[in-house]
Amino acid sequence: MTYGILIYAHNNRTVDYALMAVISGGLAKKHLDQPVSLVTDQSTVDWMKGSKIYNRAKNVFDQIIIIEKPHTNNNRVLHDGLTSKVVPFTNVNRCSAWEHTPYTRTLLIDSDFLIFSDRLKEYWDVDQDLLIAESANDLCDISRLGYQDRYISDVGVKLNWATTVMFTKNENTQLFFNLVAYIKDNYQYFADTYRFDVKQYRNDIAFSIAKHILQGFQTSLHGLLPPILTLLDRDILHSVDENRLTVLVSSKLDSNYCLSVLKDIDIHVMNKQSIVRHSDRLLELI
Amino acid sequence: MKFGYLLFVAEHETVDYLQLAYALALSIKNTQKPGFDQVALITENKQKLSQLTSSWVFDHVIEWNQETFWYGRSWMDELSPFENTVCLDVDMLFMQDYSHWAEYFMENCDLYVANKSYTYRGELVNSQYYRKAFAKNNLPNLYSFYTFFKKHSALSRDFFELARYIIKNPTEFSNVFLSNYKPKILGTDEAFALSASILDISDDIAYPLEFPRVVHMKPMIQNWPWPADYWSDHVGFYLSPTGQLKIGNYQQHDIVHYVEKDKINSEMVAILEEIVWKK
Repeated sequence: MTYGILIYAHNNRTVDYALMAVISGGLAKKHLDQPVSLVTDQSTVDWMKGSKIYNRAKNVFDQIIIIEKPHTNNNRVLHDGLTSKVVPFTNVNRCSAWEHTPYTRTLLIDSDFLIFSDRLKEYWDVDQDLLIAESANDLCDISRLGYQDRYISDVGVKLNWATTVMFTKNENTQLFFNLVAYIKDNYQYFADTYRFDVKQYRNDIAFSIAKHILQGFQTSLHGLLPPILTLLDRDILHSVDENRLTVLVSSKLDSNYCLSVLKDIDIHVMNKQSIVRHSDRLLELI
Repeated sequence: MKFGYLLFVAEHETVDYLQLAYALALSIKNTQKPGFDQVALITENKQKLSQLTSSWVFDHVIEWNQETFWYGRSWMDELSPFENTVCLDVDMLFMQDYSHWAEYFMENCDLYVANKSYTYRGELVNSQYYRKAFAKNNLPNLYSFYTFFKKHSALSRDFFELARYIIKNPTEFSNVFLSNYKPKILGTDEAFALSASILDISDDIAYPLEFPRVVHMKPMIQNWPWPADYWSDHVGFYLSPTGQLKIGNYQQHDIVHYVEKDKINSEMVAILEEIVWKK
């Protein structure tokens, strides 16, 4: 059995996912003691070379797997504290992780998920083929998360978060990832059947539905990773000091911020630009 | 007769309760093991059974008309032909074999009343929307839709006798015991909860168990983000030809208390009949 972590990164003109992947991968490698591989495309690699992060990436990543950049019309609003932008969002090839991973047991993580603890280590040898983060926990207060952060739709299934997915490469998980791909390819049909908003493809939704179907169209307490502690994109990563993150959290999603300090805890930083702003300090931690 | 399910039906202007009881009895026959699939029906009018294709699914039919409408249910201990009985609401369907739980109750309980319910998504119901009288008067959260009792048990006798007395004297009991919040109608659930509370037997008859798991389809307790008058306005109800039931995107494996009486129609009954005939 080979263990490893897999991260996808496809840059666009606004967000440097590759830089985030180097940070996220470096932190994961440091705290989970396992190799990390990057799945990316040639233009992102070229960008990495141009921005002088490529040598760092080669040190962090066990393998850099270059694939065709998938075409997508996905766009989303990305906040950076109080400002926001509509940006392209290349997330449609996560269903290929089964095919791309060089490991037999893989932890698939988002590039904005920063690992500062060894909490996920205990799941490597859990006797379950597939585990997905159960839910998201807001750093500030559950009331900031909407209903559609907990369910895929008003009447639909519970939303698991594909921010962290652990799987063993076998026939069962191949079936799962094939089903995720099928849901992606027939997204409108599943949106009608499961009553979710079709305007943007979400891996969380496709993974949740696939899990729901394969566990017999019912809720199961099996196959779950811990909830994802989440810093929303309206919040701001203020500073990085040793292994301590200082963040500004807006409890009402307005301009009133409260200071909070995080230490030794894994965190999903949805404000991607604030990761990039503090990349120098974060790179020092890996 | 060691064990059986007891169903009460009453005449109603718009709802055919006999058809609901028939569907439930069919689902019991379809899912429970022999010896745990006996059904007794209490009805005001035995003649109506002639309209059913397979009335044999009722192993016992008892004609009884001494109480009006649902108040008769508090006489379940007197009317049951079984030594061990589970009395059910008729607007329910059984989806899998629960015989092992019947055995558990027979071995361990004189009386057990359901004390929790679930949404169609399998979540424990925490909402007190329909249970304000229970919460505000600190009553045990009992649901009479699944009540197990031993016929010759002193505990059962005391419990049902007091419940009947409460039902006969709702104003007096409401004034004294439900002063924090008076329900519009003191129904069987409230009467059972009051009886258990007054006799101080709540912990003996309603302790935490993994069963019964009853999916309670009252619309305001489904954890939806908006108010709902009818659950069927929002999720579908699909019974497959093999008797598998889906509500919305969820396969149902527990006892389904569908609440909306029109969900059982002749098409549904035909599916359940065909399964029982082939069994």
